[in-house]
Amino acid sequence: MLKNYPALKHILGRAGWYFVTFLVAVTINFFLPRLGDANPVNAMMAKASAGLDSASAKEKEEQYLKEFGLVQVDDQGKVEHDAQGRPVRTSLASQFFKYVGMSLRGDLGGSILQHPKRVSEIIKTALPWTLTLQLPTIIFGWFIGNILGALAAYKRGAFDKLMYPLALLASAIPAFCFGILLKYVLSIRLEWFPAAGGYDDGMMQELSRAFVASASYYYILPFFSVFLIVVGGQAIGMRSMCIYELGTDYVKYAKLLGVKENKILYYMFRNAMLPQLTGLALALGTMVGGALITEIIFSYPGLGMAILTAIEGNDYPLITGCTLLITICVLAANFSVDILVGFLDPRIRAAQQTGK
Amino acid sequence: MTETHDSAPTHGTQVLPRALFRCGRIGRALGFSLLAVLALSDCRPQKDDSGGGFPRAETFYQAGRQWGEPSSFNPLLSNPDWPVGAMNLLYETLLMYNSLTGKMEPLLAESYQALDDSVEVTINPAARWNDGKPVTAWDVTYTFELGQKYKSLNIAPIWQYLSSVKAYDESGKEAPYQANGGASYPRRVVFALNKEKKNPLVVLDALQSQRIIPRHVIEPKFAELGGSLDEFNKLKFDKDAVSSGPYKLLSYSSEKIACIRDDNYWGNAALYGGKKAAVKYMVHPIYKSNDAFSIGLQQGRLDASSTFVPRIWLKHKKGVRSWLDHEPFFLSSSIPMLLVNHKHHPADDVHMRRAMAFAINYKDIRELAVSGYSEPLKPGLILPFGLEQKFYNEEDSKKYGTWFDPELAKAELKAGGFTPVFNKDGDLVETHDKNGQKVPTMYIKSPTGWSDWESIVRIAVKSMRAVGIDARERFVDASLFWNALFEGDFDMIMNTPSSDPSPSKPWSRFEAIMTTQDFAPLGEKMYKNMGRFNDPKAPGYIPRIDELMALIPTLKDEAALLAAYRELNMIFMQQQPTLPLVYRPDAFYEFSEKHWSNMATAENPYLPPLVPGDRLGTKMLWSIKPVPQAN
Repeated sequence: MLKNYPALKHILGRAGWYFVTFLVAVTINFFLPRLGDANPVNAMMAKASAGLDSASAKEKEEQYLKEFGLVQVDDQGKVEHDAQGRPVRTSLASQFFKYVGMSLRGDLGGSILQHPKRVSEIIKTALPWTLTLQLPTIIFGWFIGNILGALAAYKRGAFDKLMYPLALLASAIPAFCFGILLKYVLSIRLEWFPAAGGYDDGMMQELSRAFVASASYYYILPFFSVFLIVVGGQAIGMRSMCIYELGTDYVKYAKLLGVKENKILYYMFRNAMLPQLTGLALALGTMVGGALITEIIFSYPGLGMAILTAIEGNDYPLITGCTLLITICVLAANFSVDILVGFLDPRIRAAQQTGK
Repeated sequence: MTETHDSAPTHGTQVLPRALFRCGRIGRALGFSLLAVLALSDCRPQKDDSGGGFPRAETFYQAGRQWGEPSSFNPLLSNPDWPVGAMNLLYETLLMYNSLTGKMEPLLAESYQALDDSVEVTINPAARWNDGKPVTAWDVTYTFELGQKYKSLNIAPIWQYLSSVKAYDESGKEAPYQANGGASYPRRVVFALNKEKKNPLVVLDALQSQRIIPRHVIEPKFAELGGSLDEFNKLKFDKDAVSSGPYKLLSYSSEKIACIRDDNYWGNAALYGGKKAAVKYMVHPIYKSNDAFSIGLQQGRLDASSTFVPRIWLKHKKGVRSWLDHEPFFLSSSIPMLLVNHKHHPADDVHMRRAMAFAINYKDIRELAVSGYSEPLKPGLILPFGLEQKFYNEEDSKKYGTWFDPELAKAELKAGGFTPVFNKDGDLVETHDKNGQKVPTMYIKSPTGWSDWESIVRIAVKSMRAVGIDARERFVDASLFWNALFEGDFDMIMNTPSSDPSPSKPWSRFEAIMTTQDFAPLGEKMYKNMGRFNDPKAPGYIPRIDELMALIPTLKDEAALLAAYRELNMIFMQQQPTLPLVYRPDAFYEFSEKHWSNMATAENPYLPPLVPGDRLGTKMLWSIKPVPQAN
C-alpha cells in the first residue's frame, strides 16, 4: 500500500528502527548504573549514621532501602529479611518492570540523594538553564563558524592565513582550560565579569528586569567559553569541506561546461553543508546533557552538574531520568536529520526511492 | 534555497559572499540578536537596585554548608538542608556549647543542672514559637520521645543512656501533656539517666545538638499521616514552618537559600536586651567548585565561608581572614587519621602499627597537604591545646608516644621480626615477616578526588615505603569508600572520627575508635571502631579500655578524671590502634570584613570560630556591624 509513497515508507521504516534503538537504550540506561557494587544508601548512611548505634543505624538503613524500593516489602509494609537477618534485595528485573510502568505514566521516580525531591522537579529547574546556555552557543557558533570556514576556503590569502590558525587554536583548547583562562583574566584579575553563579547572589529567580539584566550579565563568560570553541571547530570543518568540494570532478566539469560561477558555488556550498548539518543535529541532541565543565567552572546552574552528582552518588532514578531525556533528544535529533537529509540530498533521496 | 540573481556577477570572488549573504540572512539576524543580548547585558545591574534583590547592607552571605540542591527543610531528616542542620537560625537547641570556655550557654533553656542520676533543664519563660505559642517542657519531651518510637531518627541512640524524659510543673509534680494547655505550662524537664549505662556526657551532647520541634504542630501531622515516619519524611517544611529561631525561610532555588529575620523573635527581648539581629537577610549561595568560595570572599561577594581555602595568607591582602592571622590560621578540634584494620595481617601486629606511626612524616603532611592549618602533631589522641590541654601529658608522650623518626620505625620493624627487601635503586620490593614469608601489601583507601586527603595518603605511603613498610595508596569511588569503611573492607582507611567540638570531648573521640560496643565481624557494619580494635572475643583483649570508657563519663573529681584520661591515652599510645596524622578544625572559618565588621577572631575571641548562625555562632549576628560603603 505504501508502494506509491516511498518517502512515507522510508520515514515509517526509520521510525521503526529508532523505536527499537530507543527500547535498547532505555534498557541499557537502566541496568548499566545498577551493575556496579555500589549502593546509594551507603553514601547516605555515611552522613546519617554519625552518632548512631548499630541497631538505630540498621533501622535507618532499612528505612532508606525501603523508601527507594531496593528491598522486598511484605503485605504490612515491613522489610523482609533472609535467614541471616539481612534485608532481601528486590531483584533488578522487578525493579526494571516497576520503572517501565512508572515511566509510561510519566513518573520518573524520586531522587535518592535529593530525597524527597522528584526527578522531574530537578530536571524542570535545571533544564531551562542548560538550554539557555547551550542552544544559542550551538546555533550561533554553527552559523558563524560555517560562514568563516567557507570564506576562508574561498578567499584564501591573508584572511585564511589569519583565520585558520585562530580557529585551530580555538577548537584545540580544552574547554576547561579556556573557561578557567577567561575566568582568571576577566573576572578575577580585571573583575569585569562575575566569577560564579547564574545571577546575582542578592537575587532570587523571578521575572523582573533586574533579574534578566543580572542573568544576562552572568551569562556572558559562560557563553563565550563555549561559543568560541564551537566556532573554531565548525570553521575548520567547513573550510576543509569547501576546499575538498572546490577540487572535485563535478566542479571541474561544471567549470568546463561553462556553468555560471555562482551556480557552481551554490552547489558546492550545499554539498559541503551536509556533514555539518548532521553535526548540528547531533550537537542539538546531546546538548540536554549539559555543559558540565562550564557549569563547574562558573558554578552555573544546569543539568550537567545534576548528572555528575547523580552518577557519583549512584542516584539511580536521577541517572536514569537524565539519560532517558538525553536518549529521547539524541534519537529525535538523529531522526529529523535522517529525514531532512533525505530531502536535501538527492543522492540519498534516490537511494531511498529505489528501496535501498 | 532557490537562487534569484538580480545581477550577474562579474567575477567569482564576489559570488560566494553574495551566496553567503543570502545564506547568512538568518545568521545576520542571529548576529544582531547576539549583539542585542550583549548590549542589554552591558548595563551592569546596580548592586543596590531597588528592583529586586537583597540590599547588601542588610544581607550576610555565607557558604560552604550546603553543596547540593536544596530538597527539604524537614527538621526530622538526618541531613536537612541549610539552615535546619547545624544552625540555630530556624530551630533552636536547648543550650549552646562554647568550645573556647567549655561552658554551656542558654538558649531555649535558661539553665541546666547535671545531677548524679539525671540532667535537668528549665525552659526560658519567654521562649516562643513564631506562631506565638510558648515553648514548653512538653515540646522537649516530645522531641526526645520521638527517638524512642522511631529508631531511625538521629535522636534515637540517646535512649540507650536515658530511662525517661519527663516534664514537671512549678510545684514539682509530673505534668502530663495537655494539648492547648492554656496559660500555665511546665518548664522543667528531667532527663533520667539509665542506671546500667550512666553517661551524662552524651546527654549534654544532645542538649546542645538536638533542635526542639513544636509539638502542637508536629504531633497532629503525624496523626494525620497515621504515624508513618516514611510519609512524614516526605514533608518539606518549606512554607510557613513553625520554629522558634530568629529567622524564617524566605525562598530557595538550586543556586541559593535565603532566610529573613523574624522581628518578633522571642530572644530579642529575653537574650539580647531588646536588640534585633544586625542582619536582615541570611543568604547561602550554593557553589559547585571550591575556588568559587575563595573568589567570593576575595571579591566581597561572600562574607563568611566554612570551606577549605588553600594558602589563605596569599588572600590576606584581599581582605580574606580567619581565626588567626598567622599559622595555623584555624582552631583545630579534630584529628584526621588512618584507621588500621586489626583483623588484617600485618597491621594486627603492634610493632607494625608503631613502626608506621614512627615512619610518617607529619611535618610534610602539615605543610604540604593542609597548607599549614594545623598545630604540630603530638602523640596520642588528646589535643595538646585548648580545653583538652589539661588532659595532655608531655612526659607520657615522650615515654610511650610515636613521632616522625625513621630510625625508630626501622627498630620497631626489627622488633616485630619484619625485614624489608630493597632493590638496587633503593626502592622497596616487599617486606618479609619473621618466618621469611612476604607480608601482604597494605592498601590505604581514600575517596577519589578528595584532594587534601589524597595528598595526605601519598605522603604517608612515601614515608612508610622509605623505611620498608609495604603500603600503597588506593583511591576509590566515594560510594564504595563508605561501604568499605563500615564493613571493614580495608587495610587502612582515611577517617576523621567524631569531629565536632562538644562537651563530651575527648571521651567521644576515644569512644569512636576504641569502643567494643556492638562489635561486629568484618563484612557486617560497624559505625564506630571500624578498625575492629580490641575484639572482646579474641586473645589479647584489654578489658581495661572498656572499663575506662565506662568510667570517664561518670567522673566528677578533676584529679580522677585526669588520671583516667592519662591512662587511656597511654594505652592508645602503646597500642597505636590508629594513626593520627594532623589536626583540623571541624568546620573552617573564613570571613571578609568588606561588608560586616567585628567578626570573632583570636584577638577578639568573644565567640568561638563558628560562622554566624552555626550553633553558638548565632550570637555573632547581634554583634557584627555593617561597614559603610563608599559609593
